[in-house]
Amino acid sequence: MLHNPGVTLNDGTTLDDLINRDMNEVSLRVMNDKELYELEMERIFARTWLLLGHESEIPKAGDYVMRDMAEDNVIVTRARDGEIHVMLNVCPHRGMKVCTAEAGNAQAHRCIYHGWAFRPDGSFIGAPIEKEQMHGNKHSKDELGLKKARVHLYGGLIFATWSKDLSFDDYLGDAKFYLDQLFCRTDNGLEMLGPPQRFVLPCNWKIPGEQSGSDGFHTLTLHRSLMEGGIMGGTAESIYDTAPGMYGVDVSVPQGHTLRCLEAAQTFKMFADVSFEGKSTEERLNLLSPPGITKDLIPQLFKNLSEDQVNQLANIPPQVGGMFPNILIAFIFAPRMDGGASGALSLHTYVPKGPDKVEFINFIFAEKDAPEDVKRDMLQNAIWSTGTSGTIEQDDADTWPQIMRNSRGHMSKTMTLKYQALHGHERPEGWVGGGDLYPGFTKDDTQWAWWMAYYNLMAEA
Amino acid sequence: MVNYATAAIDTTSVMRGLVSTKRVPLGSEIYNRLLETLYDEAASLDERRFDDWVAYIEQDISYTAPLRLTRNGPNRDRDVVRTMKHFDENYGSILMRTGRLSKSAWAEDPPSRTRRFVTNVRIAECETAGEYEVVSYLYVERSRFDNPHNESITAERRDIWRLVDGAYKLARREIIVDQSTLGMSNFAIFL
Ligand code: FES
Ligand SMILES: [Fe+2]
Repeated sequence: MLHNPGVTLNDGTTLDDLINRDMNEVSLRVMNDKELYELEMERIFARTWLLLGHESEIPKAGDYVMRDMAEDNVIVTRARDGEIHVMLNVCPHRGMKVCTAEAGNAQAHRCIYHGWAFRPDGSFIGAPIEKEQMHGNKHSKDELGLKKARVHLYGGLIFATWSKDLSFDDYLGDAKFYLDQLFCRTDNGLEMLGPPQRFVLPCNWKIPGEQSGSDGFHTLTLHRSLMEGGIMGGTAESIYDTAPGMYGVDVSVPQGHTLRCLEAAQTFKMFADVSFEGKSTEERLNLLSPPGITKDLIPQLFKNLSEDQVNQLANIPPQVGGMFPNILIAFIFAPRMDGGASGALSLHTYVPKGPDKVEFINFIFAEKDAPEDVKRDMLQNAIWSTGTSGTIEQDDADTWPQIMRNSRGHMSKTMTLKYQALHGHERPEGWVGGGDLYPGFTKDDTQWAWWMAYYNLMAEA
Repeated sequence: MVNYATAAIDTTSVMRGLVSTKRVPLGSEIYNRLLETLYDEAASLDERRFDDWVAYIEQDISYTAPLRLTRNGPNRDRDVVRTMKHFDENYGSILMRTGRLSKSAWAEDPPSRTRRFVTNVRIAECETAGEYEVVSYLYVERSRFDNPHNESITAERRDIWRLVDGAYKLARREIIVDQSTLGMSNFAIFL
């Protein structure tokens, strides 16, 4: 394989030393290297699209939320014309944070240091005492606005990038066919059920990042309590025989997005003993609606999605996965403790805060047109399973810092992470979606695809 | 209808502290017994006696932890956001959580060592006879693995304790944590 000179660390280590493409191994050192981290800021986080929130958070003109694009703090605003803007929260005067609140409504953002003011579209209004021209005479007023990122709305999700040329379509690639089934399926789309949960973990962003590259394996062990609680079907004793939730079709695209599509018939068995055999797409959707979809919303699926997309959603829906570099998707069937089916719709971002720190942000959703009691139910389910107190993610959040700790040892950091349980891609008969497909028992292919996307971006100098 | 949008904060978002003005004075019999109950309850959690802890809880419990949000200007004190929560529990979900802790809950296996410090206890009578509003400050130190640095959290708890057959039972707890971004790596422990 060609040596790639794109990254050479001070001690001569190259990207190929860190990511061995012949062996499908990654050096543990990548989780704890400051030089590499600085390069990631530039080559990954300043170059690709990042998820910042959802437009339902800022419904009115002047509404804003404060978010981060990696270590760059930004303000996400809605301007008077309804347009959404994302701009660096750094005052062009002396670098103060212009906005100091996490959320609110403001027609003008005035810096508390010397009073420069900006509109919600980032443009410079002026400095105090206009007649003395406090902003100087070397820049015209229209050069003194806040630095803006490019914004794209996808299913109401707010994405932004510092890249000048990467189109959102090129960023999504073939993942769009699957992601539309989650984010663009109803007339009024998703709604965020409140501000996101946030917490900080002592680990590198790539540790949760690679897991969100659709690591199926860890479900049976790390999330064993799901089996014990009967939530995945089967029992704690039978899990390795029946391996619930492990069979399906995993998908990856070269951009690094991955999804695990799990058979609805399998999921259905966890809820009731009714056969899916010979049922039409519509009947299937009614028997077991995708998480978050009420019976009333089913006609909207046919309206907003192509026939192929609805069929997939009814038969083998995408349920968990990731969008490169730092988004986890959990649109999961979640049985209620009092019986009956429910769901949890959450998205996480893993925002880097230094080589050894990550902020875990948990956004919780429901379909906007769902009745209030359904939203209430989905919120509760998402809190129970995901995020700060979620019984699934408690165990994840406890594992990642231990990997981080190991990445510091002189010997430990020469160890490699192994992605050698590979299936190779193969197209199941009749499958219409794109991407590389890995049918059968979940393997390491999607996570390796995540690392290849990482490799490719890092190698491009 | 609940307004879920972030920017619009509901009117209850400022509520903290005691609501009732019928104070139960410090040092009174009721105050002392409730304080003793809070101490015993904290000990049951620190000592991981979850069955004992559940015995303090009423079947109609509401156990929640709203989000805190940094706000400024006219909304600077409206920083308790009840549309989103860290905990949103009922009796069944608490049993599910404590049940899970006795099996493969790796987040607490090996268990963390905790100390719950309960202070600044203020008590008032509710309108329903035998029910008491109990507001306390909570400081939790949590030691995990061989990490020499503890994780910690501070919070205000707004409880309702109910006198049932001579003992006080927890009917409502709202935990108002102070961080908008939590420094604790998960809430696998109760607060
Ligand atoms: S730093 Fe913002 S006005 Fe001076
Ligand atoms: Fe996980």
